[in-house]
Amino acid sequence: MTVVPNELRELVHRSCFALDREDFSEFLSYCAPSFEYRISAYSPEIRKPMIWFDQDYGGLESMFDMVSQHLKRLGTLFRHPSMGIIDRVSDTEMKIVTSVLIVDTDPNGRSKLFAAARYTDTIDLSGTAPRLTARFVNLETRDLGVGSHIPL
Amino acid sequence: MTARNATDWEKAPAMPAGHFVSGRVYTDDAVFADEKARIFGKIWHLACHESEVPNAYDFRAVDYAGIPLIVVRGRDGMVRTFINVCSHRGAKIVNEPSGNAKRFTCFYHLWSYDDRGACIDIPRAEGYAQSGLRKEDAGLRAVRTEIHLGLVFITLDDNAAPLADFLDGALTAFDDVLGRGDLEVFHYHSAVLDANWKAWQETNLDIYHEFMHVLLRRTQLTAGRMDERAVTLYRNAHALSSGLKAKYENYAGMQARPDALTLPGIAPDDFFYVNLFPNASLLARGTVIRIDTVTPIDARRCLVEWRGLAPRGEPGAARLLRMRHHNQYWGPFGRNVPEDAFAVEACEKGFAGGGAAFQIIAREENMSAQDDGMLRAWYAEWARRMDRLPGDPVRREGEGS
Repeated sequence: MTVVPNELRELVHRSCFALDREDFSEFLSYCAPSFEYRISAYSPEIRKPMIWFDQDYGGLESMFDMVSQHLKRLGTLFRHPSMGIIDRVSDTEMKIVTSVLIVDTDPNGRSKLFAAARYTDTIDLSGTAPRLTARFVNLETRDLGVGSHIPL
Repeated sequence: MTARNATDWEKAPAMPAGHFVSGRVYTDDAVFADEKARIFGKIWHLACHESEVPNAYDFRAVDYAGIPLIVVRGRDGMVRTFINVCSHRGAKIVNEPSGNAKRFTCFYHLWSYDDRGACIDIPRAEGYAQSGLRKEDAGLRAVRTEIHLGLVFITLDDNAAPLADFLDGALTAFDDVLGRGDLEVFHYHSAVLDANWKAWQETNLDIYHEFMHVLLRRTQLTAGRMDERAVTLYRNAHALSSGLKAKYENYAGMQARPDALTLPGIAPDDFFYVNLFPNASLLARGTVIRIDTVTPIDARRCLVEWRGLAPRGEPGAARLLRMRHHNQYWGPFGRNVPEDAFAVEACEKGFAGGGAAFQIIAREENMSAQDDGMLRAWYAEWARRMDRLPGDPVRREGEGS
């Protein structure tokens, strides 16, 4: 299969839009069964890299099933991806680094920046459609207010 | 009777004093000014963990109720704290949250200070000869510092009783988990919440709110027995809440905590915590420890800081699993802490404009189960220090209505 960057760009965007809509089934449909997801940040306070969230495909699935029962932040999070670097790792694997701004809009329609981050996505090209095998989110923003119950 | 009219809404609840708190404690500017002077100017505050300044000349800059501080480990191994402002023009000296430096030089006129707070250099000092200023008299403002179980406490009050007197043994429950072993902070995050600082501490004092969290409904309310829970009160309104259990496997995607990762002196399914008056909480949950502190920015905003502790130098796989245990509950993407933060901001919305008049802290269950005793004790101590009544805080104690 030949994958052109447009298909990769579309995969990243579609995965963001699915999370924006909190359509977790759709998001998982873009992920391979071996999918790994991680959110990390560097703390200059303790001078250490930190992992704030990590789940595999099954862990995300379980977590998504419970989201509706949690008390969640109000409003929506919209992810604004800006594709950066695309590296072909092998014939069947590519890595994409994407800068992302995540905008929080409250129920009254007031928007503010929630987080600035960078995705490093690993994409499997061996199947009929490209699939995410990993998304590592590195946060620049470390004060996330009340936080979030859903991945970024 | 259904909904209440304005008069009834504003009327103090018909229950004993100490069982309700006026919304004015969150919103009145005079109350807040008193809190800064009478509480934050007097108490021992948990500023950081010793592992944040492990080596000589390591420093950690923190904010404390609007005052910039710098915690420094000196060349002699002693941990000292100074107000992080230059003696010359008052500029904040150190802006990085942490680092290592043998001297601290103010960017403005290059006055420099050493690891003991002494002023060691004033450029063109001869210009002060006529006015008599000497660098020997221009040291930083030292802040009393004591360490207990690796926790670095500071007080702005030079005349405060020693830390041990203030703590009154309230951290004894943490002697094993904090004291047996070499721990380090592996997790730090902070958030400015749109809420009065007390509202955050109340979430830690109010165990009844476990109903809010589906995670706790599944893992905590299904484990242990209500009557096995106990609150132990200490002087200064510190409080230990013990006897809680957790069945982690009752929440989809979580597993029971393994013995191999369990911290000293605690069972895998144990959960206990200590609230230190007025603004710190230490929680031990099987494999992880959380410390949080809250300090006011102003009457309507607070800074909450969360730390997670783990054995220093543990193998990578163990650390990853411990991080996951921590994050499932207490990280910014956890199932617990974000809900607490949501609740705190929701209460601010209720009280900020005067919509809510009182909050009720009247549950009595023999200091067990979901008793509000910790909240009542906290507000009794607040009243003692503030000379104000929580139910009518604009009036001083002893004043007529």
